[in-house]
Amino acid sequence: MTEDYIIEMRNVTKRFPGIVANDDVTIKVRKGEIYALLGENGAGKSTLMSMLFGMYEPDEGEIWVRGKKEEIKSPSYATRLNIGMVHQHFKLVSNYTIAENIILGVEPKKKAFGLFPYVDIKTANEKIRSLSEKYGLEVDPEKVISDVNVSTRQRVEILKMLYREAEILIFDEPTAVLTPQEIDSLLQIIKNLRDGGKTIILITHKLEEIKQVADRCAILRRGKLIDVRDVEGMDTREMANLMVGRQVQMKVEKKPAVFGKEILNIKDLRVKNDDDFEVVKGVSFNIHAGEIFAIAGVSGNGQTDIADAIAGLLPVSSGKIIVDGTDVTDMSVRKRTEAGISYIPEDRHSVGLVLDFDLKDNLALRRYYKEPFAKKGVLDPKSFEDYGTKLIDKYDVRCARGNTTIVRSMSGGNQQKAIIGREIEQDAPLTIFVQPTRGLDIGAIENIHRQIVEERDKGKAVLLISLELDEIMALADTIGVIYNGQLGKIAPAAEFTTSEVGEYMMGVKHHD
Amino acid sequence: MIDNIIIDGMSFALPLFVMAIGGIYSERSGITNLALEGLQGFGAFTGALVAYCLMRSMGAGSSVPYWMALIFAMIGGAVYSLLHVTLCIKFKANQVISGVVINILAVALTTFMTKTINKKVFGAPSDKFDLGVSARITIPGLSKIPVIGAFFKSVYPFEFVIIIIAIIAWYFLYKTTFGLRLRACGDNPHAVDAAGGDVAKIRALAVCVSGALSGLAGICFAYSISAKFSGDIYMGYGYLAIAGYIFGNWNLLPSLAACLIFGFARSGGYQLVQALGMPSAYSDLVMILPYVLTLFLLIFLSKNNQAPKALGETYDKSKR
Repeated sequence: MTEDYIIEMRNVTKRFPGIVANDDVTIKVRKGEIYALLGENGAGKSTLMSMLFGMYEPDEGEIWVRGKKEEIKSPSYATRLNIGMVHQHFKLVSNYTIAENIILGVEPKKKAFGLFPYVDIKTANEKIRSLSEKYGLEVDPEKVISDVNVSTRQRVEILKMLYREAEILIFDEPTAVLTPQEIDSLLQIIKNLRDGGKTIILITHKLEEIKQVADRCAILRRGKLIDVRDVEGMDTREMANLMVGRQVQMKVEKKPAVFGKEILNIKDLRVKNDDDFEVVKGVSFNIHAGEIFAIAGVSGNGQTDIADAIAGLLPVSSGKIIVDGTDVTDMSVRKRTEAGISYIPEDRHSVGLVLDFDLKDNLALRRYYKEPFAKKGVLDPKSFEDYGTKLIDKYDVRCARGNTTIVRSMSGGNQQKAIIGREIEQDAPLTIFVQPTRGLDIGAIENIHRQIVEERDKGKAVLLISLELDEIMALADTIGVIYNGQLGKIAPAAEFTTSEVGEYMMGVKHHD
Repeated sequence: MIDNIIIDGMSFALPLFVMAIGGIYSERSGITNLALEGLQGFGAFTGALVAYCLMRSMGAGSSVPYWMALIFAMIGGAVYSLLHVTLCIKFKANQVISGVVINILAVALTTFMTKTINKKVFGAPSDKFDLGVSARITIPGLSKIPVIGAFFKSVYPFEFVIIIIAIIAWYFLYKTTFGLRLRACGDNPHAVDAAGGDVAKIRALAVCVSGALSGLAGICFAYSISAKFSGDIYMGYGYLAIAGYIFGNWNLLPSLAACLIFGFARSGGYQLVQALGMPSAYSDLVMILPYVLTLFLLIFLSKNNQAPKALGETYDKSKR
């Protein structure tokens, strides 16, 4: 009974150089359901949906839409079939208004003096306003994209599909960039869309979301379809096991902490952001060797600015930063590195990696200027290769072409593994992790958590900044809760309950 | 004296501006275009060649060669710009290098062809096509207004053509779907692609527009400043136009303002040299005035400037 399904992908195979992204995958989606694609990073979810959206063509297999076999050769053809996709990386024109972005390609036109056609932005604005009311997608069509936040940009992408009368909406990891509150409202929007008769395909690796909204769920692992399940009555632990193919440990095992000497000492730190607004307002704390100090807080309360200030990416307006006895407050980034700071930044793409360089060069970024990588300023390619091979192996970085893989083409999880490997190899007394597991799947998260604990057990001081409360509760020895640029309470992790941390985070509870 | 400053300033600023418009089209679509200099020279060459041929058969009195020269200069510029299109879009070459190569090639190619054609076809060894200076128009009535009347006095006909083209260019760039997509290509070509637009086609068209408009500018210079086509056409005005639209922040009206400043700085300097009775050697010194001005403007204005985000990036669908 083909008519039952609005989308059928039959025995689809897609190969890329060095990797089979999809191996004989068959999925069938019913009209009006929320169909989730669950899998680790690199399991082939995005590739599968890119084929449905016409960005790639399958090497083998067929795609049927509404009971008809289709060859979807381009995104515009997919659009004609009423298929829309919200990509992980938004495709928006930053200096255009929201309305201009939405109508791009399907512009409403009017004629001046019955002769000169022009883009009718007024009608567009009205239509967008009515669409946004209908589905609860709050936007102001006249605002410019560069002035609005990430969740608004995402709503713009959704409106773009709706404006083109899409019936089948594909979401590629839509919550990866959102805060918890924004996630809730997005999931509500997705439900509204389904109730409005749309068919939704949701690509994700977050089990909670699937549990909350999806009707059915297909599980992919390393390019293969493992199973398709009804979500109702399904256990998250079971889903997790299917996804990674082994028993997942939700808890982090760690030995009791043994504190050594003081490594990091922050005294009354104040930091201003680009708009000259004080984002860190007099923060003091210290971290010992063998201690994981975690800063908990809702995003945007100054926690990443503290990390950036310590790493030397933001200037300090007052206060002192002392690392292992050295005052690094006014030092350059390289001097700080040498004084003993490793840094895993929040933004992998702009700060952590040089995306168009290959893997071995990225792995050597912290030490390329030293022997044996450079001898009197002349680079030694052999050392780069040896070092790259060593780290790829040691940190299990999976990549299509080994040392010479261009980092841009790697999955987010493997990019992160590369950064963490590079930084840990620094063997610095202080390691800063900012959102180390953001956007990663369970397998990778587990691996990173283990590495953080290992660092601690080696006697390093670890500063962990995370928005995931569970992560902080699982890892931290000491927790400082930040609210509005100030550390509300600093205490051993054992003295906190999760809900108590939550209260400090929201500014409900204050330190006496 | 004020009259002369305005008359000469406008006749220099407007060709500069039309070339800047071309540059804006190209760069707002995301293709760096340093080739303006070569494009204007090549356009001037084709225009001048056509005019020269027609003048020989129709006599110097006819205005047909003049108008045909303008048309063929645009065609010549557009055709020559296909080289930039092919290199940058089809072969994904580096856009800066392509632009520079096109400039160097234009100088060599047009001077060589000018000499060869003169010798082989017209049988007179020469390295130029003499065109003479374009006729001028004075609008009765309007030109009698004090001071601003000068804007309507001794105007070259091509100045009207440029004004009309500028209005059409503004309308297309800011009001039509084509313009919307073109400007989007310069900021985020992926968005255009996802919306079903053809990035390569839009960019190719934009570069051709820059070729045509630069060609027009070239023939205007040939008909005013130099009164001929020769290697002298490559005076660096193409680069000045680039400076013009950069100061204009890649928008039409501010670029017009920048070009007018360049134009009046140049003509004002000339008048100053004459008024002070300086020897003619000093007029060469004045020639550098627009460039000195460029340096100063660069220091003060470029801070707030925002180039199109995707400018100079080769569009590659698979990049994230």
